[in-house]
Amino acid sequence: MKTRIIAKLDVKPPFVVKPVHFEGLRQVGKPTELAKKYYEQGADEIMYIDIVASLYQREILLNEIEQTANELFIPFGVGGGVKTIDDFSKLFHAGADKVVINTHAVQENPDIINQAAEIFGNQAVVVNIEAKRWDNWWECYTDCGRIQSGRNVMEWVKEVEQRGAGEILLQSVDHDGRRKGFDIELAQQVVEKVNIPVVIASGAGSLEDIKNLIEIAKPSGVAIASLLHYDQFTIKDIKAYLMCNGIEVSK
Amino acid sequence: MSQIIGLINYGIAGNTHSIKKAIEKAGGSVQIVNNADELQKVDKIVIPGVGSFKDAMQELKNDALLEPLKQAIQSKPTLGICLGMQILSTLGFEYGKTQGLNVIQAEVKPMLVDAKIPHMGFNQIHVVNPNKLLAGLENEEFYFMHSYEVVNYTDIIALTDYAGHKFVSAIHKNNLYGVQFHPEKSREAGIGLFKNFIAL
Repeated sequence: MKTRIIAKLDVKPPFVVKPVHFEGLRQVGKPTELAKKYYEQGADEIMYIDIVASLYQREILLNEIEQTANELFIPFGVGGGVKTIDDFSKLFHAGADKVVINTHAVQENPDIINQAAEIFGNQAVVVNIEAKRWDNWWECYTDCGRIQSGRNVMEWVKEVEQRGAGEILLQSVDHDGRRKGFDIELAQQVVEKVNIPVVIASGAGSLEDIKNLIEIAKPSGVAIASLLHYDQFTIKDIKAYLMCNGIEVSK
Repeated sequence: MSQIIGLINYGIAGNTHSIKKAIEKAGGSVQIVNNADELQKVDKIVIPGVGSFKDAMQELKNDALLEPLKQAIQSKPTLGICLGMQILSTLGFEYGKTQGLNVIQAEVKPMLVDAKIPHMGFNQIHVVNPNKLLAGLENEEFYFMHSYEVVNYTDIIALTDYAGHKFVSAIHKNNLYGVQFHPEKSREAGIGLFKNFIAL
C-alpha cells in the first residue's frame, strides 16, 4: 500500500498556525490558500484541525470549512470541538469527508465513536490521539496537550478500534512542532496494536525523519505541518525523496 | 441539447456536495434529486454513498426513491460511487443481511485481507475490459475508502490489488457503471472519469 502524505493545518481561525510544542503560536497563512497550495503540490489528503474550538468551547466555523473544501479534489478531514452527531453531520455537509474527534470522546462520551461509525461509516470517523510519554507508557492528552486524561494510549487505541473508528491520527505532545524527528517507538507500537489505518503526525524535521518513520513503523500515512508551512520542502519534494528511497507513494 | 446529471440525495451523511463540485469541474450540469418527480427530469444518474449498506437502503425507502430509482436505472446512464455501487447488488452484509437494488447479480461482503481495514488511500486500477468510462484512465490512481467489496465475477471492468488481494474496483453492465473508489476525491484522474461519464 502506498503511504499517504497528508498536509495538516492547525487552525486558530482565521489563520493556520504553527504550534510549537503545542504552545506558542505562529501564524503561517490562511486555511483556504494553504489547502489549495498543498493540494496542487500533490498532497494525498488535507487535514484541518481547529485547535482552539474545544478549548474555547465554541463550534467549529463551517464557513471556513466550506470555503476550504471547495478548492479540493482529495479527501478532507476536519476536527476540533466535535461533540455531537449533529456536529458530524454539519461538517460532512460543509464538505468534510472524515471527521476527527478527540477531547469529547476521551473525556466524556466514548460512545459517540460507535454512534458516528454506524451512521456515517467507519471510514469517516477519525480519532485524534495526543500522546504524552512517561517512563514506560504514553498518556492521552486533549486540547492540544493541555489536559491530561489518565487514559493509557495503548488501551485507548484498541478501544477506539473496537468502537468502530476507521482511522487514528496519532500526535505526540513531546515531539510536536519541534522538528526533531518522530516518536518512532510510539508510532510502531500503535501501528502494531490495531488493524485500522494509523496516520502519524508530530516531529518531521527532515526528509530522512519521514523515511525512517515509514521504514520502521510502517504507518498508513504521515501528516506534515511545519516542514511545509515554512516552505522548507514541498509535498513533491517529499514524495520524490521517498520514491528514490524505495518507499511507495502515490504520484 | 445540454444534459442534466441527477445526483441522488439520500441519507444524512451525503457526500453530494463534493461530487457535484467535481462534475461541474468536468463541465457537467448537476441537479440534486430528492424525490421521484425530480428523478424523471434528469438525463443521467449518479448515486453517491457514504455510510452503511443497511442505512442507505433504508433511506432510499424513506424517500420513496427505491422503486423509481430501479426503474430509471434501466434506461438512463448511471454511475454508482462506492456504497452507491455496492447497493446495486442483490445482497449486502453490513450490519446484518440487507436486500440491495438487485440490478447486478452480486453480493457485498467484508474485504478479507491481511492488511489494515478500511482500505484507505490512493491505489491503482487495472482495466480488464476496455470501456468508455475508464478510457484514457487505464492504470491511473484513485482514492479508495472502504471496508466492503462487491463480489461479482461477470461484469468487471477494473480490478485493484490491496496487499495481494485483488478486488473489483469498477463494473459495467449495459448503461450502468459502478466504481468502488471516489472519483470526486481523485484529483485530475477523477475529473477525467466524470468527463467520460458526461460524454457517454
